Amino acid sequence: MIRFPDRLILKNWRRGSKRSSHVELGRDGGAPPSLRSGVMNRRKFLFTMLASTVVAETVNPVTASAGAVYSRQRYLRPPGAVASDPFLARCIRCGQCAEVCPNESINYFGLGNGLAAMGTPYIIPREQACVLCMKCGEVCPTGALQSISRTRESILEKVRMGRARVDESLCLSFQGNTCGVCARACPLGKVALQVGYLEQPHVQAGCVGCGLCERICIQMPQAIRIIPNYA
Amino acid sequence: MNNAELIVSNKAVSELSKHRPLRRYLNKLRWLSLCLVFAMLIILPLLSVYQTYVASHGYRLLSPSGKHFYDVMQFFTSPFTDDPANSLDAVKGSTWSGNFFGFKISDPLAVLGQIAAAAAIYPAFLITALTPILFSVLFGRFYCGWICPATLLYELNTNLAVWLQKLGFRPGHREFARYLKYFVLMVCLVVSALTGTVVVAVIYPPAIIGRELYYALALGGFGAGTVFFMLTLLFDILVARRGFCRYLCPGGALYSLLGRYRLLRIQRQVQQCNDCAKCNAVCEFGLNPMRDDFGQECNNCCACIAICPTDALIFSTRVTDISSQGAGHLGPKYRKLHLANTNNICDEDAKA
Repeated sequence: MIRFPDRLILKNWRRGSKRSSHVELGRDGGAPPSLRSGVMNRRKFLFTMLASTVVAETVNPVTASAGAVYSRQRYLRPPGAVASDPFLARCIRCGQCAEVCPNESINYFGLGNGLAAMGTPYIIPREQACVLCMKCGEVCPTGALQSISRTRESILEKVRMGRARVDESLCLSFQGNTCGVCARACPLGKVALQVGYLEQPHVQAGCVGCGLCERICIQMPQAIRIIPNYA
Repeated sequence: MNNAELIVSNKAVSELSKHRPLRRYLNKLRWLSLCLVFAMLIILPLLSVYQTYVASHGYRLLSPSGKHFYDVMQFFTSPFTDDPANSLDAVKGSTWSGNFFGFKISDPLAVLGQIAAAAAIYPAFLITALTPILFSVLFGRFYCGWICPATLLYELNTNLAVWLQKLGFRPGHREFARYLKYFVLMVCLVVSALTGTVVVAVIYPPAIIGRELYYALALGGFGAGTVFFMLTLLFDILVARRGFCRYLCPGGALYSLLGRYRLLRIQRQVQQCNDCAKCNAVCEFGLNPMRDDFGQECNNCCACIAICPTDALIFSTRVTDISSQGAGHLGPKYRKLHLANTNNICDEDAKA
């Protein structure tokens, strides 16, 4: 199992480092508000950590899950998931979504992501990405995962797991070698990921964030990753 | 005693055993039901893993143990289905919320917890709980006795406590107020509403067991819920017998409330009762069947029926218990009170 060192890069974001320019969280609308502001000084950082560990992680689910976003791991919710707050309120932690998942993509949080998120499903695309079979939404009894029919149109319209972003400093095609593996892995084709000169990937508006491109990327660490959409 | 008399008495004994009422076997049936539910919770995750193996079309890539597992599962499922990857989706989930051939059933507590957390009602989810609610209204807290996967472990835990007692260890027999669990239910709902997350899912043992069995069998490893459940087992041994179900379980509280005016309830026939108090000793929920005190918390588990030596406990269809029928007519107390008087009357008659 390979984990990308998310923490290091996120640390640079917090300091407002120039190196953060290759992956921007804020503009996709997917990042938590605290990250959107960009610059974060040490005092603010310490205060946030203190707040999220002492109070928020046990009591307030919103802060707890937001805290986990940048303190622990970058994860996706299964396709069809409603926004973060109603998700925690709707999900009854029954575990059926992973039970029907044919690709073993869905896993469950333990206590590591705060008590509020315990038992809720997540997907780490680099470990095992979603194949958009839409079985989880079908089996979910509560509507935490909305039922979406398995057609190209409804997937494009309704699934919003996140959005892919290319790190041009890592991507082989941007370094002068032809690769294009991510574009071939993409189940949605040109509307989501278009290839240009030397098969350089360009993420389009149709990307739903299934993560197959990130899973398949031959670079280590991966040059394309999904920026989650929790909103 | 001559031969003829012996034959007659033997015949009487055999007659008695032949006419043992069927309701006395319901407790055994209940154990069967509990075991089946538990077996289902073990089999479903295994089926789920098998399905992912089938869907991946990579038999040769599996480890030797994976291949072995695949073969075993194929052997058992192939008579029923040609397309395991899809058709085995027909039965999924646990007792907390499950999908049974397209028929979704959820625990009423899940619905209540969700309503509290989201401050809104989702009709599609509410409908899935209607069947359990209906059954609870008719049969009371039957879920606790007949289905709950935690009950199986808790009752085995009680047996363990009995064995420990035989070894010289003293299990706890404290008693608390029974309304404590209604308080727990209320606190859970309030906390759910305040935090916007379904708190009951984290502390409700059957939900925990369904989840943890899945984690253990399909994902490989136990979660925090197992620790919590172990603590409740310890609580039951060290502090109070069946303490969690009696005093703390929020689901038990909800089912008790739903079954307050249940239609089917156990009732004592006072004419048959001999006041032996075996029913009270065997009652897992610490109720008092010998003095007609079943109340809303009886889970119709039938343990008292199975142990009653005089078959005094029966099922009746009433909305309330017949309360305080007094001492059993076959018991010494009743005899002292009433039969003594009749004897006196007989004596007086004889004198006259």
